[in-house]
Amino acid sequence: MSRELQGGILMLVGIVTLRVSWGTTYLNYVKEGMRPWLLLSAAVLVVLGLLAVIDAVRGRGEEKDPQDSEGEPEGELGDGHVHAHGGPRTAWLLLLPVFTLFVVAPPALGAYAASRDVTNSVAAPQLLPPLPPGDPVPMYLSDYVTRAVWEKGISLEGRSVTVSGFVLPTEQGWQLARLQILCCAADAFTSKAQPTNVPAGFARPPADTWVTVTGHWVPGGGTESGTAIPLLEVESIVEIEQPVNPYD
Amino acid sequence: MSGAVSETKRGWRLTGLEVLLVLTAVVVIGQRWLVDSFTSPALQTGATIFISIFVQALPFLVLGVLLSAAIAAFVPPTLLARALPRNRAAAVPVAGACGILLPGCECASVPVAGSLMARGVAPAAALTFLLSAPAINPIVLVSTFVAFPGQPQMVLARLIASFATAVIMGWLWLRFGRPDWLRMPSRTHLQGSTSWHTFRLTATHDFVHAGGFLVIGALAAAVFNVAMPPQWLDAMSANPLLAILAMATLAVLLSICSEADAFVASSFTSFSLTARLAFLVVGPMVDLKLISMQTGVFGRAFAARFAPTTFVVAVVLSSLVGWWLLT
Repeated sequence: MSRELQGGILMLVGIVTLRVSWGTTYLNYVKEGMRPWLLLSAAVLVVLGLLAVIDAVRGRGEEKDPQDSEGEPEGELGDGHVHAHGGPRTAWLLLLPVFTLFVVAPPALGAYAASRDVTNSVAAPQLLPPLPPGDPVPMYLSDYVTRAVWEKGISLEGRSVTVSGFVLPTEQGWQLARLQILCCAADAFTSKAQPTNVPAGFARPPADTWVTVTGHWVPGGGTESGTAIPLLEVESIVEIEQPVNPYD
Repeated sequence: MSGAVSETKRGWRLTGLEVLLVLTAVVVIGQRWLVDSFTSPALQTGATIFISIFVQALPFLVLGVLLSAAIAAFVPPTLLARALPRNRAAAVPVAGACGILLPGCECASVPVAGSLMARGVAPAAALTFLLSAPAINPIVLVSTFVAFPGQPQMVLARLIASFATAVIMGWLWLRFGRPDWLRMPSRTHLQGSTSWHTFRLTATHDFVHAGGFLVIGALAAAVFNVAMPPQWLDAMSANPLLAILAMATLAVLLSICSEADAFVASSFTSFSLTARLAFLVVGPMVDLKLISMQTGVFGRAFAARFAPTTFVVAVVLSSLVGWWLLT
């Protein structure tokens, strides 16, 4: 693989990274805190790539470095090769994420990923601070689930809460679900709550519909277990757009 | 794709850059069709996981290649060799302890280890560094502390088992390793006219090499993530030995970043602490994206021996340390 091509690929990876992290698409994949690092790496890649292309263009006409065109063993993965190069042909593969991001920009994980996750609340039983004032109290679904499952709902009793999530269809109806990521979407966890007293208009909404539910905790659904799914009695429910940051 | 590329190359002697432009045009023109066919939830989920691993790893890979390029361009070859003890067996634990200094995850350490070898550091020491850096750096230890509240012994167990695995692998390499397994990166063609030029050449070269293999690893991990039936794990948690092996294998397949793996491990509440320790010790040292990147940087003959051996050593040591500290 020639150096100008290496440079071109570097620039493409840099540009697509810039594009993804400039807006909010990156939030489908990683945490918000990664943004400065993504922008910085994008800049580094674009500059390195551009310099490599400039080098190659300038070098043309002059005596050609044999490494540049045919010298590098393309593809042969080691094994007896004197030249110590891990087949730069694999570098073509870098175009796969580049094109995927340019063309389809895969959506945030949703109901399909959530349906494959058998555990629900993962938080270890620590004492959580009391709910902040407010009626209803806006909170993350993961927080609701942790309080309901690991504190048996003590801090939720008598309070009205609003939580947002997407629809995860089940056999009997649907659950309210939201994913939480720690580093990237490969390590996503699901939080699930079972809405009860659901208004007729929301009996079976399509999977991945985003909703905000105002409701209150009611006992049931199990406690102190990783697979318990707490109940949430619905007072009102509205359909919403997917939040900018789709994860808790 | 590569087959078509070589064909065009031989036929019309198209340069790679032209192939790149044609490919881009094809993708842009076919965009509508591609978007329309991208509707299966399994495919979408797989693509999201693939892209997520790639995007998450990218800054660390860039950090790694910049460090590796800086070592190649600005550190005199003899300095590193002199900084480590002359006795190679003694250099191994010192290199392992230096792993604490690189606060990145495993994608950063592969190019750095390659560069260290090229700068005259004994392979055994560089390999120990490769294994220990992503496993015992402060960020990883702090996240382990946070992920296992009330169980600080988990941090200690992870530190001891990971460090011991890295050092033992270094010593094993000293005793049994053969230089011809390791396709030592020859970097003579990366010698630029100035240090800055060398820096640029090395960084570009390393990124392109490790990056392609990162893509393979991320892709494999995404496929496993989607193809794996969710229930198979629970079946294994009852048998203590099977549980350890299952968690260790899962660490290889999932290929998650060492900075996040503690939280994932803590979620497997049906598994013993020792099994989860195995997940934490194996993950940063052997996983699909690492095996793939090691193949790219050090060669297939190396990766085929090094990765399975590391897996076995890591599993045995996690079991021992877990039995000692976590029961």
